[in-house]
Amino acid sequence: MTDHRAEEPLLASSTAAAAEAVEGPPREPKRPAGGRIRRGTRQFLLAIPLIALVLWTVLPFLVTTSVSFKEKADVFSEPSLIPTEPTLDAYREVLSSDSFTASFINSVVVGIGTTVLTLVIGVPAAYAFARFRFRGRHLLLLFTLLPRLVPSLGLMVPIYRLAVAAGLLDKRMTLIIVYTGMLLPLAVWLMVGFFQQIPKEIEEAANVDGASLWTRLRYIVAPLAAPAMITIGVLAFREAWNEFTLVLVLTSTPGKRTLPYELYLMQGIEGLANFPAEAAFTLLTVLPFVLVYTRVEKYVVAGLVSGSGK
Amino acid sequence: MTAGTATRAKRWFRRPDTGGGSNALIGHNKAIPYLFSLPSIILVAAILGFPVLYGVWQSLFRAESLGAPLEYVGFQNYVEMFSGPEFWHALNRTAVFVFGSLILGTALGLFFAFALFRVVGKLRFLRAVTVAPYIISNVAAAVMFRLLFNSQFGMVNQVIELFGFEGLGWLADPALAMFVVIVTQVWTDLPLTILVLLGGLMTIDKSYLDAALVDGATGWTRARRLTIPLLTPQLVISIVWLSYSTLTGLGVVLAMTGGGPLKATQTLAMEMYTVAFRNLEFNQGLAIATFILVLNALLTLAYIGVARRYEYEQ
Repeated sequence: MTDHRAEEPLLASSTAAAAEAVEGPPREPKRPAGGRIRRGTRQFLLAIPLIALVLWTVLPFLVTTSVSFKEKADVFSEPSLIPTEPTLDAYREVLSSDSFTASFINSVVVGIGTTVLTLVIGVPAAYAFARFRFRGRHLLLLFTLLPRLVPSLGLMVPIYRLAVAAGLLDKRMTLIIVYTGMLLPLAVWLMVGFFQQIPKEIEEAANVDGASLWTRLRYIVAPLAAPAMITIGVLAFREAWNEFTLVLVLTSTPGKRTLPYELYLMQGIEGLANFPAEAAFTLLTVLPFVLVYTRVEKYVVAGLVSGSGK
Repeated sequence: MTAGTATRAKRWFRRPDTGGGSNALIGHNKAIPYLFSLPSIILVAAILGFPVLYGVWQSLFRAESLGAPLEYVGFQNYVEMFSGPEFWHALNRTAVFVFGSLILGTALGLFFAFALFRVVGKLRFLRAVTVAPYIISNVAAAVMFRLLFNSQFGMVNQVIELFGFEGLGWLADPALAMFVVIVTQVWTDLPLTILVLLGGLMTIDKSYLDAALVDGATGWTRARRLTIPLLTPQLVISIVWLSYSTLTGLGVVLAMTGGGPLKATQTLAMEMYTVAFRNLEFNQGLAIATFILVLNALLTLAYIGVARRYEYEQ
């Protein structure tokens, strides 16, 4: 079971570098290039791949936004990117539909529930793994491998069968517990790293001064580990908000599904595709996260880099 | 490997000090670590561990008809899976899907990583742009790309027609549909690939590059002979990540094509979903799922092997 030890440092070394890249240490000054014109051309040529990157990412959003502001018929007759007669009809239609409001509420509840439960269960476990010597601490090694070995695809049938047998279909709580179980290995593993960076001498000093374990956790460990907890929270919320393969089998009744499932069903109606409504639904699904994204971007990146695959 | 990477790797190598070791607190209540860690261990065992083992076990059973009692059939489900044409078709489609995504993903990842490397620390908004697809669900990405590649009003066809060519029926044509699915899958997976490769570029010792420059190696030669070989560990990571994501990925394919047209995008993941949840032959579906799990496990082990070799070479 020591095999995978080699995996982590390699991954970690590059991801640490990626985080550094993202922080951006100042690069050394450019050597003076030729004339001003040559430099201008050079700058332009260097900018092309960056423009391509922006287009690659942004174009799907732009096109979707464009379609969402059009009338159903105009989508075909006026294919221009900027709608000639922008309308909010599609948004009105989506926002007033039961399928959207119900699944939106479900997604919010499941998202917050998963985030809270992951932190409540994961943080103490990580603390135990990082700080205490006890039987079972070697399970942490298994935690690092499990997410890779058990993709959600492999869980679809078994979890569905078990949920049917236990009568747990169509319940938000089922989704919350399943998502939490899937996120925990990663969350615990991440937190262990953070906890180990907090010198235990701080805690021991507090201990000598008479601080109980709870006091130390509350006033020393928690504040120091706050950034890690935010990262895990964002990671958990993103997973619950976007998860599709398991909600597909764990819910079946209208009003019980989450946003990705409802969006999937919406485009399933072939022939009478309502493209503006589909586009508006997509953007409304994405929007809440995009709005907070600008604020939590640092943590999203940290989660992405350390999660590397979840 | 370079000195920078080596020290960095060493620093991380020490990290999962799971023995408690020097970090262990002295004089604590013996029950506390168990109280703290048991909920996690139980939940992970219940959600990840048990269902997978239960699934593998159940793949040895089958019901003669829907609702009939399950009978033990040994490896019958596997024998029939391997002797049916659907499995081999799906395996073939998976190979195209995985390798296509690997090639496109790695090429684009390298291209964008090199581009970003030149402006590291300057254009911060580019980081937000790079990572944006990561916060989008597979289904939302599929809808967006269906709009982009729509045969009647999609922007891709508009551009093609601008150059005087006939627009293509992207999602109706079996060969093109696979291409569109690959592009969409790569779009969702690229943020991590770019960040990992960019991280690799940051660790390369500048003196190597300067030495190469003195020797007259510039641009493409320098990238091909020096930078890309030095990036091998990061390339391995991103290749394994892309294969994992495509081999076990269902969302994009299901939401985009549902396996069509003419089963052109019927990957193994889609085949498992079809057998289990459309034909309702759950146990037969579990045989396919087990096959995918084994394939994925082998891939992970191979990756660990490669990763280890690089550690030793340092």
